[in-house]
Amino acid sequence: MNGWNGKILAIDLTNQTYEICPLDMEIARLFIGGRGLGARLLWDMVGPDVDPLSPDNVLIFTNGPLTATGYQTSNRFSVSTKSPLTGTVLDANSGGFWGMQFKKAGYDALVVRGKSEKPVWIEIKNEEIIFHDASDLWGMRVFAVTEKLGQKKNKRNVLCIGPAGENLSRIAAIMNDRERALARGGPGAVMGSKNLKAIVVEGKNRTPIEDPDRFKFMLYETRKLLSASPLTSQALPEFGTVVLMNIINDIGALATRNHQQTQFEGAEAISGEELTEKYLVKNAACWACPIACTRISKTDKVEGEGPEFESTWAFGAQCGIDDFPAIIEANNLCNDLGMDTISAGSTIACAMELSEKGYMDSDLRFGRADQLASTLESMAFRQGIGSDLADGSLRLATKHGHPELSMSAKGLEFPAYDPRGMQGQGLLYATSNRGGCHMRGNMVGPEVLGLPKLIDRFQVQGKSSFVILHQNVSAAIDSLVVCKFTNLGVAEEYFARVLSAVTGVHYSTGELIKVGERVWNLERLYNLREGFTRKDDTLPPRLLNDAPADGPSKGWVVQLEPMLNEYYQGRGWDENGVPRPEKLAELDLADLVERN
Amino acid sequence: MVDDRIYEVFREIGRDLYVGNMISSHGGNLSVRLGDRVIIKRRGAMLGCLKPHDLVETRLEKNDSGVALASTELLVHRAIYKQTPALAICHCHPRTAIAFSLSRDELVPVDNEASYLLKKVPVVTEEFASGTPQMANKVAAALENYKIIMLRGHGSFAIGQTLDEAFHWSSTLEESCQIELAAKMINEPFIEYRGMSDAYPTF
Repeated sequence: MNGWNGKILAIDLTNQTYEICPLDMEIARLFIGGRGLGARLLWDMVGPDVDPLSPDNVLIFTNGPLTATGYQTSNRFSVSTKSPLTGTVLDANSGGFWGMQFKKAGYDALVVRGKSEKPVWIEIKNEEIIFHDASDLWGMRVFAVTEKLGQKKNKRNVLCIGPAGENLSRIAAIMNDRERALARGGPGAVMGSKNLKAIVVEGKNRTPIEDPDRFKFMLYETRKLLSASPLTSQALPEFGTVVLMNIINDIGALATRNHQQTQFEGAEAISGEELTEKYLVKNAACWACPIACTRISKTDKVEGEGPEFESTWAFGAQCGIDDFPAIIEANNLCNDLGMDTISAGSTIACAMELSEKGYMDSDLRFGRADQLASTLESMAFRQGIGSDLADGSLRLATKHGHPELSMSAKGLEFPAYDPRGMQGQGLLYATSNRGGCHMRGNMVGPEVLGLPKLIDRFQVQGKSSFVILHQNVSAAIDSLVVCKFTNLGVAEEYFARVLSAVTGVHYSTGELIKVGERVWNLERLYNLREGFTRKDDTLPPRLLNDAPADGPSKGWVVQLEPMLNEYYQGRGWDENGVPRPEKLAELDLADLVERN
Repeated sequence: MVDDRIYEVFREIGRDLYVGNMISSHGGNLSVRLGDRVIIKRRGAMLGCLKPHDLVETRLEKNDSGVALASTELLVHRAIYKQTPALAICHCHPRTAIAFSLSRDELVPVDNEASYLLKKVPVVTEEFASGTPQMANKVAAALENYKIIMLRGHGSFAIGQTLDEAFHWSSTLEESCQIELAAKMINEPFIEYRGMSDAYPTF
């Protein structure tokens, strides 16, 4: 089979040893790569007895059969681990160049286990694996480390943690190529707990393609589709993902001031149009990406990548701030500190509400742009109240007696969309395996953008079917691995065909989506094994009980219970959210559970 | 009880199928999947003027009383839902496409819109081309790889996330076949204007 390298690099940091193991090709066929392969390996390696920040947790970096083939957006890679923020299964994926380089180094996965006695960084040059002392790098920020270790766009790529990861912030990201992030759920803290500062890759291998003519046809058709879609050919290149700011605000689904409102009066000032007009230097692209949604923006103080929509929202509307330069600088600082912007912004917003209501002793207040940078610094270095904020909003709000003020599901902070204005998004947040997340089947496609066709965002009956399908598709795309933005212009049938052309293994559209369903169910099984139950598939009381007083979503709360019941039935799970034996058999997961 | 929002979509698309000459007075059917249930047109109901009671809800995996009322094509709808990721199905009788299906094993569009959206539509043959398990299995199997297929001499089956989407593929196919028919009547040499169109049959 082509596409896969057929090799896993397994590194033990405790002994500073490594071995190269064969990839089980039956596992590859069933789970493909990326998130799917990561979840499958994690299932065997990390059980419920393992603390996420202990040496027994693992970091599993994966690519997929499409990675580095030159197919549009085939640059992405993934990390899987047990989350120190949520305790759930976790995967996070990132673009840039590192993933492509990692594939060219000759591996489908890199498993890192154990803990180094002293700070270490690893250099991978195909089969040459070198452990370096990282004592001189420990304490350094991301941009400096990336430069020092010789980042070179298409030749040598650096992945590292910043101070947030070193200080075990549970919202720490792993950064690659300077400003790309494996952000959500705290993988940076896992890397920090292993005393692993960086992984540098250089690769020379090419990925062989089974059917080059068919692959060339798919490349051509994909280019045509991405060029024809106004989203991928105009909106994203011109405004970046922040193009969503005005759209989501207009429909009354822009979470504001820790979800106390669903529209932000300052949205226009932090919109994509404003970013392009006043702060954009140029746009940029990840490897093999024709969309080029990356912003290079500039203020009087900083110049760098971003901000994305979610980051702009997190430091903007969620904190009641409409000062765009302050938001750009906060985003830049988070990248340098190695911290998830969504969780960081939303945790600050939670602290602002706790403080304003007198539940927490601090001077944090909504609208105070001047407090962003100093608060982020204190979080990354665990200074003062920053030490509490560094562990996310749920631990913070719980410490101060008001866990209901954490706008999260399973402990992961929500992104920008207030689900009271998007019923499907509410169900998505509640059932997402890694916690409150939009990248696990984002309903903004069907409920807002009309992709593939517009559905009623307030409809409850039948909504679970869309959520299930989009979750499965999302897991399949994350297993290929390609960027979800391609799916804005290219339907799943194209992914199935290009995967077949590259690997020589026939995948119908349905079979590809079945892989996604298999991955979703395995992640669910993982969480059940960790002790999660139906009661964890929920949302904060504010979203279930407090309807917005005005705006387009006035009077709506998330109708979670009927959607959740329908969701479990549609998934083939029992009333407690446990996959039924016949569903596990259908997905080739029954043996896995029996062996466990 | 079917949500008013869902009924409204059935009513509008059913009407458009009839007005657009894609079905006869009692032909064709529509359905959507809601988790482990299916909502489908009642047997004998006229798609062009559906009433709320013309929608029947039944189980996907096993029978209940709903099957006594459901469309004769329930079997194929169930098979499609079980074998594909479809959330909606549009079955209609597009006349020009049916005519072409009588002599071809696949329909490869020549117009821009259908070339862009469909690339190729396979034609499936079944002796008992209505309501049988054999037909259901063949149609469902073909839809694992394509979003719309033709059942020779009978009609099209299209799948999508919504009825809107499945209707889109159906009307695109019929429009494409009408354009090709018109081009054949003009009977002048075809000038290729598309890139890599020789690969369409391999799609």
